[in-house]
Amino acid sequence: MSDVTRSVIGSAPGAAWESWLGVVAIVLGVLLTAAHGTEWTRQHVLAIAAPANGELPPAECPEDELIEEGLSVGECEQLVSNVRSYLVSAPSWFPGLMTSLSAAGTILALASVVVGAALVDHRAWASAAAIPVFGGLALIDAIGFIGVINAGPILRGLYLWNVLEWFVIHLMMTVGAAAGRAASADTAG
Amino acid sequence: MERERDVTTVEAQRDGYSRTAVIVHWLLAVSIFFLFASSWWMLALPLPSEEFRFREFPFQLHKNIGITLVFLLALLLIVRLKQRPSPLQLQKPWMRRLALIDHVALYVLIVAVCVSGYLSSSYSGWGTTLWWAIDLPNWGYENEELNILYSDIHLWTGWALLAVLSVHIAGAVYHAFRNDGIVRRMLGV
Repeated sequence: MSDVTRSVIGSAPGAAWESWLGVVAIVLGVLLTAAHGTEWTRQHVLAIAAPANGELPPAECPEDELIEEGLSVGECEQLVSNVRSYLVSAPSWFPGLMTSLSAAGTILALASVVVGAALVDHRAWASAAAIPVFGGLALIDAIGFIGVINAGPILRGLYLWNVLEWFVIHLMMTVGAAAGRAASADTAG
Repeated sequence: MERERDVTTVEAQRDGYSRTAVIVHWLLAVSIFFLFASSWWMLALPLPSEEFRFREFPFQLHKNIGITLVFLLALLLIVRLKQRPSPLQLQKPWMRRLALIDHVALYVLIVAVCVSGYLSSSYSGWGTTLWWAIDLPNWGYENEELNILYSDIHLWTGWALLAVLSVHIAGAVYHAFRNDGIVRRMLGV
């Protein structure tokens, strides 16, 4: 490898903010894809496995299963209670909303990984694409936040803080991308 | 000078991983974190019985993705061996050693987690239908003790994988914050 090549690799051309924001977008994008994918799975499982009338029978807790899972009888019963409390507290519109948001969130989270990679790679289009992608994720969080607020205290306890954290993170990323883009334009100008 | 810059860019591009390696790497990343997040949630579902079938879909999905991961990892290793990127030039010797140990540990642990999970499933008596299409043979007979043993190995290698992944991610973030171009090797440059 020539010295010139080494210098290019050693000091990648492009603004440092792109590299910082890019790696944050990649890492959080991977985690968020997993989180939204899990939420989608949760909604799918509840839709296909919960009884149509929403009434769950008493828990079944065979001893061999308890040993295998390392559970007490109380914990085993609580597993059913958790599902029951979810079914009881979710308004009819809630599963549809969460399924839609988690599907859109999975796609945008994957997009944020791609945009993050483009930012680290200092691609010309990356900073322009970052704003709608990160902003879209913040919008999904905001819609989810409003939905959860209107879904009762049990679901608020389950979801609200988590949604708020992601909203703040995505808001910061959106503003960071906009500020970095403006600073780069000022420097170029 | 301009010509030298062009040549340099081409050489820098060769320094990175192949497009296939990059795609497989990020597929592995998203899949692994999805498996972590979804497994913590699915183990809090009611124990399986005639009336409670909440675990069927997520467990099958978990096994399908886990088995696919082994094939993806094999593909990644083949691609990496066939098209090796040039050695890192800028790292200190201890960083190079740490990177090597971390990568070997990652590969070994991913295989260990997946194989122990599959063996645990085999000895549990529950069948595996790969992506709901191919019935896989049960390598074991129903044996509670072996099921618990492999389940414990699955659990602890999973925690170890998470720890090693943290080092891997910390290393990537370190280089991205330094903007030294090393992370770009895994971004399809």
